[in-house]
Amino acid sequence: MKRKLWQRTLLYTVVVLWSIVCLFPFYWLFTTSLKTPLAVSRGPRYVPYVDFQPTGDHWRYLFNEQGRTLARHFRNSLIAATGATIAAVILGAMGGYGLARYRYHWRRFFNWRNDNIAFWIISQRFLPPALFVVPFLLLYSWLNLIDTHIGLIMAYIMFNIPFALWIMRDFFMSLPIELEESALVDGATPWQAFVRIVLPLSAPGLVSVAIFSFVFSWNEFLYALMLTNYEAITLPVLIAGQNNTRGIQWWYISALTLTAVAPVVLIGLVLERYIIRGLTAGAVKG
Amino acid sequence: MTQSHPTAHGEGGRPHERIIKRIFLLPAVIYLLLLSVFPMLWSLSISFTDYQRGAIRTVVDVGGDVPAGEAAGAETPTGQGFRLTLRNYERMASDQRLHIAAMNTLTYVIGGVLLQYVVGFLLALVLHQDFWGRNIARVIFLMPMMVTPVAAAYMGRMLFDSRLSPQAHLQRIFSSLTGWEISIPWFGDGRWATLAIILIDSWQWIPFMTLLLLAGMQSIPEDIYEAARVDGASSFQIFRKITFPLLLPISLTAILIRGLEIFKIIDIIVVTTGGGPGSATESLTMYIFRTALTFGNFGYAAAISYALLVLVILFATLFLMLGRRFAGQNIS
Repeated sequence: MKRKLWQRTLLYTVVVLWSIVCLFPFYWLFTTSLKTPLAVSRGPRYVPYVDFQPTGDHWRYLFNEQGRTLARHFRNSLIAATGATIAAVILGAMGGYGLARYRYHWRRFFNWRNDNIAFWIISQRFLPPALFVVPFLLLYSWLNLIDTHIGLIMAYIMFNIPFALWIMRDFFMSLPIELEESALVDGATPWQAFVRIVLPLSAPGLVSVAIFSFVFSWNEFLYALMLTNYEAITLPVLIAGQNNTRGIQWWYISALTLTAVAPVVLIGLVLERYIIRGLTAGAVKG
Repeated sequence: MTQSHPTAHGEGGRPHERIIKRIFLLPAVIYLLLLSVFPMLWSLSISFTDYQRGAIRTVVDVGGDVPAGEAAGAETPTGQGFRLTLRNYERMASDQRLHIAAMNTLTYVIGGVLLQYVVGFLLALVLHQDFWGRNIARVIFLMPMMVTPVAAAYMGRMLFDSRLSPQAHLQRIFSSLTGWEISIPWFGDGRWATLAIILIDSWQWIPFMTLLLLAGMQSIPEDIYEAARVDGASSFQIFRKITFPLLLPISLTAILIRGLEIFKIIDIIVVTTGGGPGSATESLTMYIFRTALTFGNFGYAAAISYALLVLVILFATLFLMLGRRFAGQNIS
């Protein structure tokens, strides 16, 4: 169907306007990171070289003087997110496969079957994290896990498992069962069939789960704030901490924030289709 | 949830099979029991005690003002020795600050969900059209979702600044052109600050609604539209009678997911207003966090976190009940 001119104009107007809404904050962050403190405090300046003279000072400061601190926190974020992602993918894939291919019946536990178990697991994802503030503080100080990587990873695995398991279950249920059955007939154990046949076929699902777990953990704030205080501080807490330690230095915060969001935004740009697949996996059919 | 799914192996089965199926599922279940169910039950029992702790310092000061009642509590020796009590639950009824935090949280949830759903739906309709540059547009639309909420909050704080931001500049230009003096005190006034927080959250999560609804639209078979067009239905009729009702189930899911997520809001508020002015923008999660860490009142914090849980469950149940009734009527 050919569209009329006014319809096309309206379409592109909306697309362009919303793209500006999406991108302008990034642009503003970037230009602010190039402004001198004076250029910031003199009210809005829009275009480098036109209404202000850009400077690389803040980036140099961030990567030279602050380089070591930045690298440490970047590493913390990376360790916490990667560790949690690996564990969540493994546990989620195993659990999802179990729920997709076997029939469970917990007679001594509310008489739950597969669907009840799956629903219970996904419901864990939506519990308010505030519920865990008190018990986690007590548990972690008792186990001496405050301010450690392993402690943070443990908490992140906890909130990543439900989502990972849910997506993987959905993915496995859409895979034809015949391949595994023929492998079983050929004498493979169920575990071998899972590792050698099912997992390689599930790469797209695994990638979606890994992306989600990584991004959730990278961006997480509440647990990181509560469970770390010096050594293991992650980037979101570091950024939020700029709020009060030295007053608002917009130019420095902008450079820092851009550095912190760069990895996840890059993931979004490159792996967009996996993200959309993961998003829609559970929800569209759910 | 699908009721019937293909199952390779029957219930019970050989002993070997009973073991392998447990090996698959139990690690995840045990992990959740240890780190989710057990802490929750522990927290429930703490909520019936007057357990106190010394304040815990965090990197980001989420302190705020210690209310008058709290000062006395803070003097009691920390750590050991606590009594069973129902005081925490009694206190909730008269705690003004708690009521404000609960109202704020509901405002964020309802305001955020409505705004995100309406705008998200419109954008999904646009992206559903065939046009040049559609794939690029989809990637651009996705970007805000990837950003750390803390970072989004800083962006918002810069862009809602009442002096240094482009929109303040626009306001000044508008004022000087028309003579109407407008100057929105974004973070200086409780109501405007609430709106700003909702806008920041929406900037991030409208893409989520858009992408989900878009996927839903793409799963509607084309021949339904064809049939409607043959029957001479207008675009608006097609939207009202086909697109919208068929998207209701996924709409409900998307709204529910977003609603439950907004109940957790804390990071944007910490960065933008710190809960202020006063406690005008404080959310429940933030209040719980402060009660536990800053005031060291673990018993009360645990009790409020259960109040939050009850609120969340009420929201989900009510929403699903209404949704089911509404959706049922529309589809049939």
